[in-house]
Amino acid sequence: MSEPVASVRGVSGLSRLAPAIAIATAVGLVVAGVIMAIYSERSLSDQQVRAAHVQAEILASSVTAALTFDDRAAAQDYIDALRANPEIRAAAVYDGDGRLFASLLRPDEAPLPAPVRRLPPLEAGNRLSVVVPVVHEGIDLGTIYLRLVVESVVQRLGRYVGIAILVVLAALVFVVLSVSQSALGRTHRELQRRAEELSAAHHDLQHQVEERGKVEEALRQAQKMETIGQLTGGVAHDFNNLLTIIMGSFERIRRGLARGRDPSEMQRAIDNGMQGVQRAAALTRSLLAFSRRQPLDPRPVDVNRLVAGMSDMLRRTLGEQVAIETVVAGGLWRTHVDPNQLENAILNLAVNARDAMPAGGKLTIETANAYLDERYAGSVADVEPGQYVQVCVTDTGTGMDREVLAKAFDPFFTTKSIGQGTGLGLSQVYGFVRQSGGHVRIYSEVGEGTAVKIYLPRLIGEEAALADDAAPALARGAPHERILVVEDEDGVRERSVEILAELGYGVLQAADGREALAVLEREAGVALLFTDVGLPGGMNGRQLADQACAGRPGLKVLFTTGYARNAIVHDGRLDPGVRLITKPYTAEELAAAVRAALDVETRRPLVLVVEDEILVRMNTVFMLEEMGFRIDEAGTAADAVDKMRRADGTIGAAIIDIGLPDRRGDELTAELRALRPELPIVIASGYVSSELGQRFAGDPLVRFLGKPFERSQLAVALNALGVRAPDDED
Amino acid sequence: MRLHPAAKRIARAALAGTACACLPPWFAPAVASEASPLEVAVKATYLYKFAPFVSWPPGARRNARSGLCIVGDAPFGETLERAVAGQSIEGRPIAVRRYAQADPAAPCMVMYLAGSPAEPVERSLEAMRGAPVLTVTDAARGQSGRGIIHFVLDEGKVRFEIDNRAATASGLTISSRLLGLAREVRRE
Repeated sequence: MSEPVASVRGVSGLSRLAPAIAIATAVGLVVAGVIMAIYSERSLSDQQVRAAHVQAEILASSVTAALTFDDRAAAQDYIDALRANPEIRAAAVYDGDGRLFASLLRPDEAPLPAPVRRLPPLEAGNRLSVVVPVVHEGIDLGTIYLRLVVESVVQRLGRYVGIAILVVLAALVFVVLSVSQSALGRTHRELQRRAEELSAAHHDLQHQVEERGKVEEALRQAQKMETIGQLTGGVAHDFNNLLTIIMGSFERIRRGLARGRDPSEMQRAIDNGMQGVQRAAALTRSLLAFSRRQPLDPRPVDVNRLVAGMSDMLRRTLGEQVAIETVVAGGLWRTHVDPNQLENAILNLAVNARDAMPAGGKLTIETANAYLDERYAGSVADVEPGQYVQVCVTDTGTGMDREVLAKAFDPFFTTKSIGQGTGLGLSQVYGFVRQSGGHVRIYSEVGEGTAVKIYLPRLIGEEAALADDAAPALARGAPHERILVVEDEDGVRERSVEILAELGYGVLQAADGREALAVLEREAGVALLFTDVGLPGGMNGRQLADQACAGRPGLKVLFTTGYARNAIVHDGRLDPGVRLITKPYTAEELAAAVRAALDVETRRPLVLVVEDEILVRMNTVFMLEEMGFRIDEAGTAADAVDKMRRADGTIGAAIIDIGLPDRRGDELTAELRALRPELPIVIASGYVSSELGQRFAGDPLVRFLGKPFERSQLAVALNALGVRAPDDED
Repeated sequence: MRLHPAAKRIARAALAGTACACLPPWFAPAVASEASPLEVAVKATYLYKFAPFVSWPPGARRNARSGLCIVGDAPFGETLERAVAGQSIEGRPIAVRRYAQADPAAPCMVMYLAGSPAEPVERSLEAMRGAPVLTVTDAARGQSGRGIIHFVLDEGKVRFEIDNRAATASGLTISSRLLGLAREVRRE
């Protein structure tokens, strides 16, 4: 590197000398010009004198004869011939004695000189006078005097000054040119050096960019694979469930066809399959929502009303730790979006806010009219300037650092641990807002909180009927489905009890594990234990569930927790048969979770058919199978009691023939009731005596079914007892 | 009357000679009857002054001295000898030679044909036709016949006419400057 620098220095030294060289050259040029002028002046003078001499000598030679033979007229003729030349101002011929022989004198000319024999050329002003002798054949005949007008010294000097100015100008031009040339050269070399450096830097950069591109490509590929892994895992799981349903339906249809059933009887199987297909379609819709290809159902929306309508749900979702403040702007414009999606988006933001505030905090939802001006729109990609309805969701949570913020809208990106978050929340928000022609912006500071601003385009024009939020249909229950709610927080417990009671369930409650076990001992027919994971008194929810289930194999458990799922989750999976709902939960979520927990094993409940007549039993079994039940069979009462005992509570219902070989059906019913107080029992009988009817009048879990019965009658009887046929959901 | 300085000088000398009465007796009547002494003196100087304006052919009769010859009764007398003293033709001193008859073989560069009863100018010219000699005749002699140069008087001044054809025929070349002074030039 040192060598090029040195050479540049050397060159620049030379280039510094260049102006001096140029000036020296210019001075040399001027001096040469002066010398040339002097020389030319001299030679011009000589030339003029020579020319004058020649003219005088021509005249002398012309007048030799005239002088020789004393012919003045002839001499005068020669002299007069000179008049034609305007440069000749005066001319004279003198004879050998010095007397004037012939002459010419123009007006205003000085008089002719006295006779002269010899005279050096004389220059006076702009007049040049020469004298030459007239000699013929060695004979001196006289003299010629000639006076010519020549360019005066002043005139010549003037001319020389003009030339000198030109020369000096040329020299100056030369100097300027050479100086600028050297400056140009310097600049050029400097530029060349920089260009080389730039080229090298460019080359480096290109190399780096290439390297970076490769790394990025690899990273992108890895991220893509990870994302696809997450996505396909989830989608595969859901689709497997749906395919199971659809496959089951097909199987039943196949079975029905094989058995030659009336195709109309297979309608339910077809409907079931269709349902599965529809749920699969719903799944693909939700996938499309993340890829922003989800068809929206935009309607004019009053965002204030929508937010107000969500407040209950939000309160329940966010729990008590989070204070909710809603600030709605008066005269808020309307917007044209899909209200369900907007609700979803706000809910997603609220859930994120809650998760960002594990120790509680404040969530503010604010609406306002906003105008995004040209400058703002110009600074952000894909934003049209104009009027927007702004929804701002602000929390006082942990906030996000720059790195997280940059990825916040990426699908499947989550800061939550595996299983806790889908990574689709903000992605949904982004997808929805962009699809609605809006704009979303996140402001976040670590330790301060996060604000997400959603801008939705203002609806201008006709105010269509505003969307009415219909109350969602909640999954309901029946009084015989008894649920024990175990929760140490009174407020939470009371709310849950209230919700479940409203849904139609029979609800029991306990504040801790010990109390809960006591309730289970005391109360018969508890179908579901709904317990908080964290409980006081040395027994947590998990331990409670274990103890409770030990003696009650049919008991379902639904856990709830405000914390991570780790207490129940092992290796990222829930134990089989264990369900969880995270706090805080909405009524809807709770209803769904409870329903799902109750139905998880009654989907294909085990039904004990007690019938001594083998063909009848087979027929009943067939009907129940059609309905999707699992079947256990018993030919005698003793067999039935034995099976009931061994089944360890897994039998969900019993169908008992009234006439059994070893004892009466009603007696067996009483025995089984003793074993399983919550067991629904259908007594099949040719006729129901009043005595019989009265005996079980007080038992809501006993129904009578007249023989012979059809499948639909059996289904109605079971249904009345709360036993749902898995394949007969209506 | 204005005269060439040389002629005047000779004329003065001639007058002085006359005054000295040293002229030969045969000379005086002819001169007095035909021309003034000044005129004669001028003509005498002219005879040799023509020479620088004339170039002779290689075949001219050149001796160690260039011959200036007089044929017939010339009026010059000693004046001519004095006039040519120190002069030269073609770089050679001049010798004045007198002849009674014109002879083409005589060593002459210039020949003044004065004419005489025995030898008229016409005859002399006939004899000299084609010879490389500058023949000079004089109107004042009252004779017919013209040489290459023929003296005339013009407003009292001695002038001459030139027969350039005869000059050419004799192999002589006459300078245009001399031709320019002639009152009349006979050409082809």
